[in-house]
Amino acid sequence: MGGYVRTTSQSSALLGGLSITHPVLKVLTASVQNHISRFSDCGLFTAILCCSLVENFQRINFAACTVTKISRHLLSLCTDYLKSEACGCRISVDFDSIKTLLSLVHSVLASKPACMLNKTEANHLSTLVLKAFLLTIPHTVETNVVLGKCVIVPVKDKRVMDSTVFPGLLIEIPESQLARTFPVIRVSSSTIKMALFCISLSGDLSNIGEGTVIVHHGISLEVAVLDQLLNLGKQLINDQVGLVVCQKVIHPSLKQYLEEHRVITIDRVGVSMMEPLSQLTGSQPIAALHSVSPTCYGSLKDLRTESFVSKNFLHLIPNDTLVCSLILCNRNEMAWDELKLACQTAEHVLQLTIKQPLALLGGGCTETHLASYIRHKSFTLPASVLKAIDCSRTQYQLVADAFSRSLECVACCLEHDDGEILTDMVYGHFWSVQSGFPSDCNWSDLVLKCGCGICSNQQNLNWTVLQSQCIPFTP
Amino acid sequence: MAFRNVNRRCHMGLQQLSSLASIGRTLLGPVKSYKFIVDVNTSESVLTCSAVRLLESLDLTSAVGQLLNETIQAQNKDYKTGMTTLLFLVGAWSSAVLECLQQNVPFSLIVSVMSEGLNSCSEKIQCLQLSVDDLYKGSDSVPMHFGSSSLGPQIIENKTPGIESNSFLNPLVHILKEVPVSKEESVPEGLHSHQASPCDPHNRYLNSHLCTADYRTPSLVEPVGNKTMPVLPGSSLIASSCNKRTRLTHSRYFNTPGKSHCSLQVDNFGGPPTGPAACPYEFNDFGQLAMALSHGNQSSMKLVHDIVRCQQQVADHTGSFQFNIAEVLTCCLPGLAEHYSCVCPGYITLVSPEKATVTKKLQDRPLQILLVDGDLTEKYRHLGFNRPSNVRIISENVGLQESNSESLWINYVLDILIQAKVNLVLVKGNVCESLMERCILNNILIINPVTHNVLLAFGKGTGIQLVTYLSQVNSHCVGSGVWVDFWRTGDLSTMELDNKVPISIKAEGIHLVTAVLSSTVTSKMQVIEDRFWTCAYRLHHALTDQKVFPGGGAVELLCLSHLKKLEEQSLKQADDKPSGDFYMSSCWLTKSFTQYKPVVLKALASGWHQYLSRVMCNTAHYASEFEASTSIEHHLKKAADCGSPSAYILKEFNKGDKVMVDFGLLTKREEAVKVYDNVTPKVEAWRRALDLVLLVLQTDAEIITGPKRNQLLNSHGSSEFIFL
Repeated sequence: MGGYVRTTSQSSALLGGLSITHPVLKVLTASVQNHISRFSDCGLFTAILCCSLVENFQRINFAACTVTKISRHLLSLCTDYLKSEACGCRISVDFDSIKTLLSLVHSVLASKPACMLNKTEANHLSTLVLKAFLLTIPHTVETNVVLGKCVIVPVKDKRVMDSTVFPGLLIEIPESQLARTFPVIRVSSSTIKMALFCISLSGDLSNIGEGTVIVHHGISLEVAVLDQLLNLGKQLINDQVGLVVCQKVIHPSLKQYLEEHRVITIDRVGVSMMEPLSQLTGSQPIAALHSVSPTCYGSLKDLRTESFVSKNFLHLIPNDTLVCSLILCNRNEMAWDELKLACQTAEHVLQLTIKQPLALLGGGCTETHLASYIRHKSFTLPASVLKAIDCSRTQYQLVADAFSRSLECVACCLEHDDGEILTDMVYGHFWSVQSGFPSDCNWSDLVLKCGCGICSNQQNLNWTVLQSQCIPFTP
Repeated sequence: MAFRNVNRRCHMGLQQLSSLASIGRTLLGPVKSYKFIVDVNTSESVLTCSAVRLLESLDLTSAVGQLLNETIQAQNKDYKTGMTTLLFLVGAWSSAVLECLQQNVPFSLIVSVMSEGLNSCSEKIQCLQLSVDDLYKGSDSVPMHFGSSSLGPQIIENKTPGIESNSFLNPLVHILKEVPVSKEESVPEGLHSHQASPCDPHNRYLNSHLCTADYRTPSLVEPVGNKTMPVLPGSSLIASSCNKRTRLTHSRYFNTPGKSHCSLQVDNFGGPPTGPAACPYEFNDFGQLAMALSHGNQSSMKLVHDIVRCQQQVADHTGSFQFNIAEVLTCCLPGLAEHYSCVCPGYITLVSPEKATVTKKLQDRPLQILLVDGDLTEKYRHLGFNRPSNVRIISENVGLQESNSESLWINYVLDILIQAKVNLVLVKGNVCESLMERCILNNILIINPVTHNVLLAFGKGTGIQLVTYLSQVNSHCVGSGVWVDFWRTGDLSTMELDNKVPISIKAEGIHLVTAVLSSTVTSKMQVIEDRFWTCAYRLHHALTDQKVFPGGGAVELLCLSHLKKLEEQSLKQADDKPSGDFYMSSCWLTKSFTQYKPVVLKALASGWHQYLSRVMCNTAHYASEFEASTSIEHHLKKAADCGSPSAYILKEFNKGDKVMVDFGLLTKREEAVKVYDNVTPKVEAWRRALDLVLLVLQTDAEIITGPKRNQLLNSHGSSEFIFL
């Protein structure tokens, strides 16, 4: 209604924008958001699974405690299975080749239609995200591995294909500054000293605390603060600092003073740049005017200017870098926001693979496979286990069926075009076919490839319609 | 709160999109119809003929409307051209997609085939790209052709069997057909195009200004494409004699063949480069390229062309030349007749009569300049300076008051200005009224508000730094060698408009060029300014891309023929096994891919088809879209028969006076200037249009948040809402 419009295909943006009043929904969205904040990805999966679990459990109408007990057990079955070597729906991520990593990134990016990427663009961007990620991995591995940082530099209203990755850090500067940035003051040929400020150097008195300050007429606090700033400037020049970066604003007079002494100044870099800047240069962010000690300064190997799609950047080149800049372009603001989120998700997913170099099959195959595993297990569960959780086999099987149905329900959500879903009786993978097929047709003519793309119709896999009553099998 | 806006048969979003975009239909092509937008509440009205202004002025409250507006604005921000194409294609493609939905084509298939189709077309049309370098290096492949001296042979050619029906390709037939029946109302451009007559008065101003600015080198090689080099009095005589003829002669489009001035013009304008040596690249002023990109806005493009020449002459002193759009400004003089529009070096702006008197005192001597990047008031502080709220100033002297501090400040500022011997201050923001008065008394001229790029240009030119506060002023901040003068019309008279006087500020080493735009119809001022910028950016993009497309629908035609080929291929493949590896959500789609692919490709093609036929209708060469459409089909057939459609299209384009879809009505034999299109802006406009349509297609729900939702609950549509 005349407000801000955002199109999105990501749960994090969607849930953030909703105003929810119903308590149950509040619990649901809170837990999904919590999941997203930890893992970035799979928010939608969590939400759909959650809803369909509730729905399916309600349908069987058991006592709540029975359902809880059994489903807890089912969950442990699932996680144990996924962790075991025997698991048929996981693949290990091989860091020697980029193939798996690339398809991991690609599947994150390609599953967000609101980014409006076409095939070439999705491929290009997947490569860039992976490249940026690899640049943040340290060369030498010690006991504590700390990943570097990838800073996303916005270039809106340009083509996705213009996006690129630079090692080091890029900070946008106005063209007018470009002309007066050089030559830089260097301590040695390969060292430029840098000071990083996280306090405002704007010369205001924003942090004088509460209460009233009474000043006599004729005394100007502003002038007093500016004098302090200029003294600071003198100190920086004496210390041979070549670059001053401030998170907030630098007073024009201080800027002028520093620039007249050939010190490059950049202000208003924003809070998000502070961590990478400090990591990149080894400088300690200076938080007070009087606490500037030479130990706070960081150093750079070189400083260059880059022009890129009609924007100008100062390129900070560190001695050894774990920080890189992904210049991300998209055609408009909204699509850019969406793309940025998707890239961050992909980056996070890559980081998680270092912790656990495993990936699950996509395209719905993991869900259907797991569902058939659960069904199968519920038939072969030893009586002792049933006794331990205090339920009958029928009860267990009904809850397991509801559980499996919920998993399958998530898989079915992947089909957006009113197709029908089949599963095979060998691997339990996910197959989608056009709806309205004749009942007597040959399945292998209908199917082509499973969701994840591992199986094809060449193998005779004994297909059946998903969620139809069928005999459990060992996937 | 949300409502679903998807229903297989009627996708609400797409319907909205298609109806919104349809308002821009008449804006397509070189001949545009103006539109009035009237606000019923305030009775204010806006005159517009561009897609950007149209959407800007509309009250677009729907989400789809806002998305459309954002898309158009983004294109405008980047390219300043291609917005109407974008708007039209959004409309055409959204209705084409709606048709696909009616035929039950799956969503993902539409998305996939359409975006792949556009990609394929974008790649295909690369073979049509013409390098700007080649256009000027005397190559014969795409030279400028100008009408041959006699009409005879061409008419005979028209009568040869087989070509006879080819009215689409041969504009001459249109000329003969159209000239007598042309209606002025269908060609608004014609009414206002005095300046398009061969003796454009603004060139005279340019020349006179160049002379006064001392930028003109005496023995400059006359650039190719300069039409005004004949002695000025003579040409105006010719012009006046022309004016005595029918009214339509005002427009170059409607000149009937065989007029004396035309041949003269052809000689001057049309002398094709005799060889690379005779027409070195450096001396080229891109006149022909500019005209070919004007798409019917010759008057605006002439100004752009003059700017290029002006910048070039400045560059001749300094060396390399580059068309620098960042140093181009406009100054609008509403109320002045359109033929006063001209190009002047330096910065032209309007000032109050009081300042004009200061100007009078300051003219004819070099001035000292100061550039202030902020406001010039006592209370102004730079961005990011937060005023503390809990500081109280106490005073022992009762007499000292607040107002006193301002006058103290003014004295302080004035002292600085006088001591630094500053005569001219350019200020970005506001200026304290009393300071302004005091400065006028002290013969210091303060100009405000001045845009940032003007400040930068003066800073660069004079080598000084911008200041935020006057306390910063030192020797690095005061520049010298700046001149002010009154802006003068061609007869060297100054003028006053609506109590404002145009003055010009120049400095050595400064490359700013101002296009002075004028119109007696004040409401047309915006239109004229927009047109000027569109033309300037078209030339800018052509020079940045270093390539252009042959215009007049050649590119669209190739897309159509390419899509037709793809469609046939996919029909042939239908029986074969699909080649697989498509980028789609569900695998079964790969199966039905072959079944639906031709339908979707046809939908994509229908967008360009509608575009072409609409342009052809708008240029008034075709009575109906049906007629235009038949003509397109005819061409497609010929292109297909030819074997290589791109070769056919290039060949037709190279015939010089036979432009495909006769875009600019330019194909009069006197001045059959080629029509070129920009490369990147065009392809980007397509891509943005399709992206928007596909985005809306994939939107299945609209979620409304914020405090206003309660209002919605009470509205009539509330039954459609789902509550969260």
